[in-house]
Amino acid sequence: MRLREPTAADLRPELLGTAFRSPILLASGTAGFGLELLRMDHLDGVGGLVSKATTLKPREGNPPPRIAETRFGLLNAIGLANPGVDSVLSDILPRLSGLPCPLLVNVAGSTEQEYGLVVERLEESDLPLGYEINVSCPNVAEGGMLFGADPAAVERISRRVADRTRKPFSVKLTPNEGSIVESAAAAEEGGADAVTVCNTFLGMSIDWREAKPQLSNLTGGYTSPTLLPLVVARVYSVSGSVQIPVIASGGVGRAEDVLELLSAGARLVEVGTLLLRSPDDVCRLTKEMEGLLE
Amino acid sequence: MESNSGDPGPLETMATLNTVEEVARGVFRHRYVAPAIADGAEPGQFVQIEVSHLAFPVTRRPFTVSRVMEEEGAFEIVFEVVGRGTAILASSIPGRSLSVMGPLGRGYRTAEGSWALIGGGMGAAGFPFLSERVDVRLAILGARSTEQLLPCEAGELLIATEDGSRGRCGLVTDLVFEACLDRYDHLALCGPLPMMHAVVEFLTEDVLERTQVSAESRMACGWGVCEGCVIPCVDGYRKCCTDGPVFPASDIDWAGWMELCG
Repeated sequence: MRLREPTAADLRPELLGTAFRSPILLASGTAGFGLELLRMDHLDGVGGLVSKATTLKPREGNPPPRIAETRFGLLNAIGLANPGVDSVLSDILPRLSGLPCPLLVNVAGSTEQEYGLVVERLEESDLPLGYEINVSCPNVAEGGMLFGADPAAVERISRRVADRTRKPFSVKLTPNEGSIVESAAAAEEGGADAVTVCNTFLGMSIDWREAKPQLSNLTGGYTSPTLLPLVVARVYSVSGSVQIPVIASGGVGRAEDVLELLSAGARLVEVGTLLLRSPDDVCRLTKEMEGLLE
Repeated sequence: MESNSGDPGPLETMATLNTVEEVARGVFRHRYVAPAIADGAEPGQFVQIEVSHLAFPVTRRPFTVSRVMEEEGAFEIVFEVVGRGTAILASSIPGRSLSVMGPLGRGYRTAEGSWALIGGGMGAAGFPFLSERVDVRLAILGARSTEQLLPCEAGELLIATEDGSRGRCGLVTDLVFEACLDRYDHLALCGPLPMMHAVVEFLTEDVLERTQVSAESRMACGWGVCEGCVIPCVDGYRKCCTDGPVFPASDIDWAGWMELCG
């Protein structure tokens, strides 16, 4: 058994060339680029922030309705809405110099080439600590999780990124198709410094009275505290099969959940849907974990 | 893509529910003591209430600020029970403390001059606050029945109920089609999308330019990050929570919005 008992040292993890003040990262798509939280001064106790996905060209995203709450979770089909890498470089990153924690820019592409091109452009900025390469978005017609399900594509994309940056990067994997263990190994082989386990789970919700989907995209990414055991299982199996660190993502609703993911082998833990509801609760997680470990 | 609104104000506050009133069957008025919100709110802004601190529901619920009582440090919301979140909130008893985010979003541009308000159903929930800040000469309100009608201060009040229990028997749009709206300097419009669309179709371009719409959309965060609540506008999607919820009527792509969400 590889399960670990988390200690106080796990709350100050050192990886990706950085000493993090907390294992908590804000998951991509739930913190924008950090401007709102920076203005609200709500980044206490947060180890780092993963930006909204950035693509080469601006993307409007999917038509509304883009979100639907279900009994025990939330479906979203935002569709990688973002202003494009030019605007991120010229309008957004310069305003983030006061960010009190490291920034990983999440990078997405509809072709394999696009990942390399976006990273190449982002290299013009010193601000990001590194990147999270999104090969797992369930809500786009091209690319997205189709790449993530194919270990060969994951390896090629990882190599493309590794060739263009000396900064660390994590590859965010899909739980929906293919073998996440094989895709993680492919990312490692391609030069990734970490893997993020995992993106959202493909889901669908229907208003059966009108036989109408709740999302205009029909399907979306499902997030919920009920997913924790599914994420724990994936973190456990991936961390046992690769040498690079595992960043957990999904299912966190409270401090104990973060400790459970650390026990399963994660070094950093992303928090998303909880942040949408309560930035205060997220800021408190690290302190609560310190209390639990005393 | 980031929020272009100003200071988002205090983020999360604990608010104490001190008055609960069931104003009609399934329609509730709640008064919360939360000085930071009462002091900062503007007409048309909203709050996000955590209806339960348990794991579910996973998101807050947005409510327009219906009135503020600054001297009491309190604000009111009026809501109809439409699902699980509003049902949980409706079952709250006075004295309960809830986490509230707000005030959020961009409210009405409260310009000088004469105003006409047009509200359908719960769409009139924010009008009491607005009518305290601007000169409301006319309000046209519609509801299913007299007991669902929300109060509104106005020089002239025109009412339509679907069951004929008060005012005209019919829809709010029937009254709008007969009203002489071009005499007012500003219009505020809020209600179900098909109703707002019908009103907007009827307005002359000149009046449309003076009309502000309080939009509604499914929301997750309410503070600009998740991009979940977008409304189709003439220049692309805009976020209901931080670009709105109040938009100039002429900014909205009404045909597109109707097609997707009507």
